[in-house]
Parts: sequence; structure tokens; C-alpha cells
Amino acid sequence: MTTSILTYILGIPLLAAVLLVFVPGNYRVIIRAIALAATLVPMVLAIKMFCQFVTGHVGYQFEQQIPWVESLGMSYHVGVDGLNVGLVLMGAIVAFAAACCSWEIQTREKEFYILLLVMTGGILGAFASLDLFFFYAFHEFALVPTFIMIGVWGRSERKNYATFQITIYLTIGALLALIGLIALYIQSGAHTFDIPKLVEYIAANPLAAKSQNFIFPLLLFGFGILVSLWPFHSWAALGYGAAPAPTAMLHAGVLKKFGLYGLIRVALPLMPQAAQSWMQILAWLCLGNILYVGWVAMKQKNLNLLIGNSSVAHMGFIFLGIASLNLIGVTGAVLVMIAHGFLAALTFALSGYIYQKTGTLQISELGGLCRPLRFIGVTLLMAAMAGCGLPGFANFVGEVTVFFGAWQVPSLRVVTVLAVWGALIIGAVYMTRAVRNVLHGPVPEKWSKLADATDVWRKLPYALLLVSLLVFGFVPSLLTDKIVPDAKKMVQMANPVSDKPGAVAVSEIPNLKSALPN
Amino acid sequence: MKYEILPWIILFLPLLATAVITLFTLRCRTKSSLISISAVVTGFVLTIVFIAVNGWHPVASETAVNWLSIGDLHADFGLKLDALSMMMMLIVTGVGGAIHIYSYSYMDEDAGKARFFAFMSLFTFSMLGIVMSNNFLMMFIFWELVGVSSYLLIGFWFEKPSAGDAAKKAFITNRLGDFGFLLGILMVWGILGSLNFSTLQSSIVANPAALGTMATIAGLLVFCGAMGKSAQFPLHVWLPDAMEGPTPVSALIHAATMVAAGVYMLCRTLFLFNADALHVIAYIGGFTALLAALMAVQQNDIKRIIAYSTLSQLGYMVMAVGLNGPTPAMFHLTTHAFFKALLFLSAGSVIIGMHHEQDIWQMGNLRKKMPLTFWTFLIGALALSGIPPFSGFYSKDSILAQCLEEKNYLLFGVAVFVAGLTAFYTFRLFFVVFFGKEKSDYAKHAHESPLVMTLPLVALAVFAAIGGFIGIANNYGSQFVAEHETLSLAQQVLEPLHAPVAMLIGIGVALAGIFLAFSLYKNAGTDPLPAKLGGLATAMKNKFYLDEIYEATVIRLHDLIATICDMIDRWIVEGACIGFVRGGTDLTGRALRLVQTGNLQTYAFLFVLGVALVLYFVLGK
Repeated sequence: MTTSILTYILGIPLLAAVLLVFVPGNYRVIIRAIALAATLVPMVLAIKMFCQFVTGHVGYQFEQQIPWVESLGMSYHVGVDGLNVGLVLMGAIVAFAAACCSWEIQTREKEFYILLLVMTGGILGAFASLDLFFFYAFHEFALVPTFIMIGVWGRSERKNYATFQITIYLTIGALLALIGLIALYIQSGAHTFDIPKLVEYIAANPLAAKSQNFIFPLLLFGFGILVSLWPFHSWAALGYGAAPAPTAMLHAGVLKKFGLYGLIRVALPLMPQAAQSWMQILAWLCLGNILYVGWVAMKQKNLNLLIGNSSVAHMGFIFLGIASLNLIGVTGAVLVMIAHGFLAALTFALSGYIYQKTGTLQISELGGLCRPLRFIGVTLLMAAMAGCGLPGFANFVGEVTVFFGAWQVPSLRVVTVLAVWGALIIGAVYMTRAVRNVLHGPVPEKWSKLADATDVWRKLPYALLLVSLLVFGFVPSLLTDKIVPDAKKMVQMANPVSDKPGAVAVSEIPNLKSALPN
Repeated sequence: MKYEILPWIILFLPLLATAVITLFTLRCRTKSSLISISAVVTGFVLTIVFIAVNGWHPVASETAVNWLSIGDLHADFGLKLDALSMMMMLIVTGVGGAIHIYSYSYMDEDAGKARFFAFMSLFTFSMLGIVMSNNFLMMFIFWELVGVSSYLLIGFWFEKPSAGDAAKKAFITNRLGDFGFLLGILMVWGILGSLNFSTLQSSIVANPAALGTMATIAGLLVFCGAMGKSAQFPLHVWLPDAMEGPTPVSALIHAATMVAAGVYMLCRTLFLFNADALHVIAYIGGFTALLAALMAVQQNDIKRIIAYSTLSQLGYMVMAVGLNGPTPAMFHLTTHAFFKALLFLSAGSVIIGMHHEQDIWQMGNLRKKMPLTFWTFLIGALALSGIPPFSGFYSKDSILAQCLEEKNYLLFGVAVFVAGLTAFYTFRLFFVVFFGKEKSDYAKHAHESPLVMTLPLVALAVFAAIGGFIGIANNYGSQFVAEHETLSLAQQVLEPLHAPVAMLIGIGVALAGIFLAFSLYKNAGTDPLPAKLGGLATAMKNKFYLDEIYEATVIRLHDLIATICDMIDRWIVEGACIGFVRGGTDLTGRALRLVQTGNLQTYAFLFVLGVALVLYFVLGK
């Protein structure tokens, strides 16, 4: 088998990280050039792969499999289908943008870039892997550098507390998920870590209800903690608030989606019965993200905490899409995952720029920044608009698709109504409030001379992320055509009854009436 | 449908203009404004060409490309071209074009002129999208885009805190309406399985009970969207504040087009509404008309008076839709676009002449200094008051006649009273600004505006004058009435005679209103009304304290919930739970530290103790 393009995409950053070890720490330009090149090439390759991906084809493409520990059924196996091709693309673009934004790091640059590249390789590897072992191991590869980066290069006086909290939470989450995955391996009796084989095996020999019922919650909450599912969310805003911008971009944008991807890829299709009984609970928990964390975001006095909380709130839409367990909802969930990746990276990059220039992110200290920082200000305004679900940006397509999907499930209607409230009202309130207080209004004297991002290189990461949001917002079929066939297959496994065609029958209308709040 | 490409060009030209201005010509003010103006003017010409080729009712009226298709969810990017949408296209590009040209001069001294025109083009694109879209999702998308262009333009002078606040308020209030609108769309889609207007219409025509028990609720939810955009009570509060934007914006967005989108949407989706829903819509419209007219009587800012009048006229239109009269509603929408844009632009001319003074009690006697503006304003004021033969008379009369036809005498009474009030407050403004004595130095040195500004005024004035009988009602009639007979010019001029009662009462109250305004304000130096009305005048002036009531209830409540959530997050989730884990770990650590004393004797003792225990368990049992 020839080497898959995916192997290059995830291998180049890792190799470059190794290479950087041997470059002396004071060769700053070379270090930065290597890091940029080692993220640029995977991005170009990922774009190429995305364009070459055959649409409408069910199953994996760009596959490569190398046996590793055959007695346990482990192998290096990568490949993409509609569910993860967009994620790999998004991850590669965000990684390059994060490397571009790393100019804010002034101390111990070599170590920072090594960790950044390891994190990048890990993230891309986790999304490309089709083997449970590598899937998990790559994730840990990406996770550990996060803690170190926040601890060493982080900002704000609560940095240590934030590092402590994020480490504890994410380690517990990853551990629960690990227990779940091991239990899955053992209980399935398939003697393989290979996801496609496992799926095939379990489709023929379903897991016993008893094992499903104890494994599924492990995965749901393990992965859920990694995605800041309410009420396990408090690490996120704090951690992102303290993290250097590139770390926050990569974690909030890409790595966080790992848990969601795991749910869709592994937990739902392998444990359909348990999934169905837990989805109602998940739907109500997601309201915790959308409404409760949205309200918390309204009260934040620090721009980064506001963005962090808003990012947690957005996770709720993905959970809602997953909870609806139908084609539209799951497709919407994948769309929001990709869109939010670009958006979170963009907002954290912008707040990083503002912090770099002003040394503060306290909203009361800022104001009128649209005047001195024209490019950054306008981009932040557009990001804020994308964040409150404005059409034209990819987030809108994802969120509205999730609502349509959730509306198809009569028992989720009340949740959907409240989620729409969260998306349209609460999101608009905290985003316009932030815009009003940070970008609009009179410019304080001390900020009137701030330097805007003027040259092309400084503008590039922001423009790249913004253009990605716009492209998928204008032409969502670029993604949906790829997602739909594989999402359909996944949904059929996870919820065989959901796929009834056509709209809700008229006979269900009384049901709907009772589901509406008075 | 011939030249199917034309509507696409008309729609996307303004977007292209926005993109070009934003990316390339942001530093060049003249070039940017010319790009934007030519986009909208070309759109106007192409619309005329398209109508000339295809007529008002093209055979296949839809053209679409697939935009999103996931399982049961199909959303096209589709255009629907019939009399309704093409008339709206003419209004958006025609009135919009006049306003664009006017802005070229109005915004001349502003450093942000290029940005202004980029936003204006973005708005034109979004508004054209609303009127051309053939399905609910597409309409919702452009609905939101219009909202954001309005947000950007209200906050155009974003360094002014009041402009920033007004923009925010407009956006959030509109979002409240959109919340209902999206739920309505979801509900209709959930029951009927389609988003396309034609498909929905045919399935409801085939089975009027298709929406079942949810018909009223679905209709009212969709109406929520109109309530937000068309600023109907209780979501009307944003529109007066929106006057913080530049005056051409007030004319284009907050008078002629965007705020009319709600009315247009109701007419487009009229098939969805059952009798109960229409009843609610009619009364909300009537109430808004009355409330806003009362508020307008005691305002002193020239733009705010016209803004309240817009609210009131929108109430008229919504009421007409609710009374089963989409033709009168759209007719009034169209004439209103002419005369209200005219009034706003004339007011803008006055404001420029007065060096950005907007208080009418600082003006006075401007008819000498600004003769052309005086005449155009007079035409607009007569049209708004409903004096024949100006356009407003015909459309208002058709709404009054509709009230009588539906035998809704309560709403007829409200409409008549509002018509009187409208004439009164319009001419209050007119007399105070253009007659009497100069009340400030600015008024003494006011000057007429340049030709680029006055020419669009004249063009709009012509249509405000003759718009009542040039076939506008014919076009709408052919859209909404199955067997519609086209009226000749003479028939159109005499059309109000079909309902003489409505006509005579309408003219009567309008003249009474003007006479009252004349007698009170002919030479007034201050407002004599507060002394006569007392508390009522104060309440009117303060908009019946609705802003304060909202502030105290809705906003406070949401803030309170947010504060509670923030507290819980800070103290319970973060404090207690994490504190517990942290404290517990800490405590365990401390306890275990006691074991590691570093004292050899203790270790030896514990070691022996351990060995003894092991021996006990191994041997002792």
C-alpha cells in the first residue's frame, strides 16, 4: 500500500518537532521558519486531500494500514470519510494559523514551537486515526503539551490555578474515556482496535445491553468532559483565558472536537441501545451549555473569558445535534464542529493580538478599538457576528441545520425552542455587548496610537480563518455533500428507527402542542 | 422566463460592490461611492429591462440552484419573480438608487464615506434577497443580513456612545422577532415538510387544515419576525433610536425598505395565516398605528417625528394585511416608500442646512432659505397626511375602505383618528420648521443643499405626488386577486369614489388635523400643547415610558438570571466542587505526609508492625 497523504499530514509536524530539538535555541528565525513550513505543508496537503475526496462515496478514502501489535489487533490505520475529512482540513488550517500567531511568544521559543508541532501532529493524528489505540494515543500527544504551554507561557495571575484545573479535568475525562475504550475492546470480543472492523463486527454481534449500559456513560462523560459538557465546563473559559493565543486556538478550535468526534465515530454506532436511552439526558445537559453558560458569558468582564464561555456555549449546539440522532442533526453537529473550529481559533487569535498590544483584556479598560485597529477591529466584529449565528458564516449553516434536525424529534422540541433562544438572543446579547464595549464608543487616549496589523504576514492567519468561515458559509454543500452519506450510515447504525422519511406525520401534532411552553 | 440571468445579476451586483469596496477601494472615497451607486442604478435599469421582457407575471416564475440538501431538509437558493417581488425590486433599487445618489453629497465630508457605501450596498443586496427569495430559509438568511446591515449603519458613527447603544438595541430587538420567526419556520417545515413558498401554498390550498391545530400558533410565530423588522408593538422600541444613523440610512432602511420587509413577508406568506392569526395581526397593527401617532405628537427632533410617523404608517400596513387586504397594504407600502423617503431626505437637507441641528424648535422660517426643500417637504407632508391627489391619499383611502369592507368599525375608527393625528403632527413639524421666526442663529444662516441632493428629492417628489394612480395598485391587485380587472388611468384617479364614506371621512380628518396644526403652530415660538394636555403630553413625549418599563422588567430579569448563573459558576461549580476536590486531595496529602516522618525508628516500628500483621494473616488463620 502506498503511503497515504494523511501520513504526511500528521507526520510532517511530528518530524519537524524532532528536527527542532537539534536546532540551537538562538536561531530564532530558522526555528520559526521550520514551524511555519511544517504547518503550511500539511495545510496545503489537507486542502488537496479535501478537493480530491470523492463525494457521495460511503466509506474511507486515503486509507493506509500498517500492522503493529498483531496479537492485540493494533495497527497504524489512517483514513478519512465524510465525518472527519472536514475536521482534518479544519485542524490543518487552524494549526497553520496558530503557528503564524505564535509571534507573540518571546521567551523559550524553541520549546514552544516543539510543543506546538507535537500538538499539531497529535491533533491531526487523532482525527485521521482509524485505530482506537492510535486515536487515543494521538489525542494524549496533543493534550499534554496544552498543559505545559498554559503553565509556562500562560498569562494572567490565575495561570497556575487555570493550569491546575484544566489538567485535572482533562486528565479525568481522558481517563474515563480510556476505561470506556478498553472495556469496549474487551467486551466486544473482536480482538481488534481497528474501528472499521469493530463497527463491522458489532453490527453483526451487538454488545449486550448490560455492557452497553456501563460503557456508554463512561464514554459519554469522558468525552463530554473533554468537550466541556455542562456541568464539567468550568475549566474551559478559565484555561483559555490563561492560555497563550496559539494554544487556545488549537485547543478550543480543534482538540476539543476530539470528544465529539469520538462520540460520533465510536460511542454512537457501537452502542446504539445505550445511546438512545442517554440522548434525552444529553439534550437537557446541552441546554446547560447553551443557556446557562451563555448567561455566564453575559456577565464576563474579561474579553477572553467571554470568548471562552461563548465557545463552551457553542458546544451545546453540537451536543443537541448529536442528541437528535438523525441525519440532519448529526450532519449539523459535524458542520458546527468545523465552523466553530475556525471561529474559536479566529476569536482567540484576535484577542491575543489585542492583549499583545494593550496588555489587558479587561473589557472596561478597552473601547473604541475599531478606530486605531481597523483590520483587527473589523475582523473581530465579523467574528462576533459569526459567533451569534449570522448567515454567510459557516456557523449559521451548522446551527440552523442542528435546529432542523432536533425539531424532527418530537420529544426534543422544548429543548430546541430554548436552544434557539440561546442562539438568537443570548448569543446576540453578549456578542453585541462585547462589540459595543470593546470596538465601539470613544477611544481612550492611551489606545489611540495602537498599531494595527498592516503587512500581509500579520493579516494572513486572520484572513485565512475568516475566508474559511465565509467559504463554508456561502457554499455549505462543499461539506454537506461529503458528510451526508457517511452520517447516514452512522445514524442507521445508531438509531435504525429514526430514518423515517418525510416530515412529522400530522398525527403527531397533538404531541407537539404539549411540547410547547405555554 | 427570458433572460433568467438578469435577476441574479441584479441581486449580486451590490454584493460585488461591497466586496470590491471593502477589499480594494476603502481608501478612495469617490471611487467607492461611484461603485456602490452604479451597482444599484444598474440593478434598477436591469429590473426595468427584465419586466419589459417578461411582463409582471413570468410563466415560470422561479429560478433556483440547490444550496443545502440534507435528508428531508432541502433549501434552494432560489428567486421568485412575480408582480409582488418585482414591484419591491423596483422600490429597493429605484428609491434606493435615489437615496444612494443623495448620499454621495450628504456624506461628502465624512471620513468613512467608503465604508458607508460598502454598508449601503450590503444592505441593498440583503434587501433584494428578501424580496426575491422563494423559500423560508433563504428569506430568513437575508432577513438576518438585513438586520446586520441595519446594525452596521445605525452604528456607523460608532464612536458616539448613543449610536453604539442604538445599534445594539436594534439588533437585539430584531433578534427577538427572529426567534419567533425561526420557530415558525421550523414548525411549518415540521408539519408540511417543505420550505418553498409555492409548494407550501399549494399544499395549504389543497388542504386548508394541513397545519391542523397549530395553524394559529405557526402563523403568529412567523408574524413575530414581521413584528421585529417592521417594528410593531411591543418590539417597536428600536426604530426611533435607530435615527442615530446618518439620515440617508433612516430614509432607505428605516423608512422605505427594511422596515417594510415585515409587511412584504406577511403578504408573501399570506396563505399561512388563518382567521384567528389575521385578527391578532390586525389589532396589533392598529394599536401600533395609534400608539406611535400619539408619541409623534410631542417629539421635538425632526428625524424622530418622522420615525414615529413611520411606525404609525407601518401599523397601518400591518393592520391592512390583518384585514385581508394585501393589496392596500402593499399599495401603502409603495407610496409610503416614496413620500417617507422624500420626507427623510428633505429633513436631511434641512439638517445639513442647519449644520446638524435636529431640534425643530431651533429652526423656523426655512421656506425662504431653502425653497426647493420646502416644496419637496410640503409634497411629502401632503402625501403623508392623505390629501388628494397625492399618493398617500389613494393608499390610505384603500386601507380605510378595507376596514369598512371587513366591517371592522373599531379599527376603522382607530384608522380615522390616526389619520387625523398624522396630519396634525406632520404639519406641526412643517409649520414650526418652515414658518414663523428663525429660532436660532443657524436658522438665520441656513442654505439650500447642492444639486446632487435636491435632484433625488425632486424625483421622489414626483412619485410621491402621482404614485396613487400610475398602476401600482393594479399590479398588486393582479398578484392577490384571482380575477383582477386592470383599471385605466381615469378609473384609478376616481377609484376612491367607490367607497365615498371612507374617502370623505379620510379627507375631513386630514384637513381638520392640518387646520389644528396651523392654528396652534403658525407662529409658535414654543410648544403650546404641553400646557393644554398636561400629563398626557409628558407621557407622549416620554414614549409612554415603554423603554423604561422594558429596562426595568425584561432587561433586568435577563441580567438577574445571568448574574445568578455567574454566581453559581463562580461559587458552586468552580468554588465548591473544585474546591472540594482540591481540598480533599490536599487533605489526603497532608495526612499521608504525617506518615513520612523521616524518623528511622518510626519506619522500623511500622515495618515490624506490618510484618506482624502479615504473619498474623498468613499463619494465624
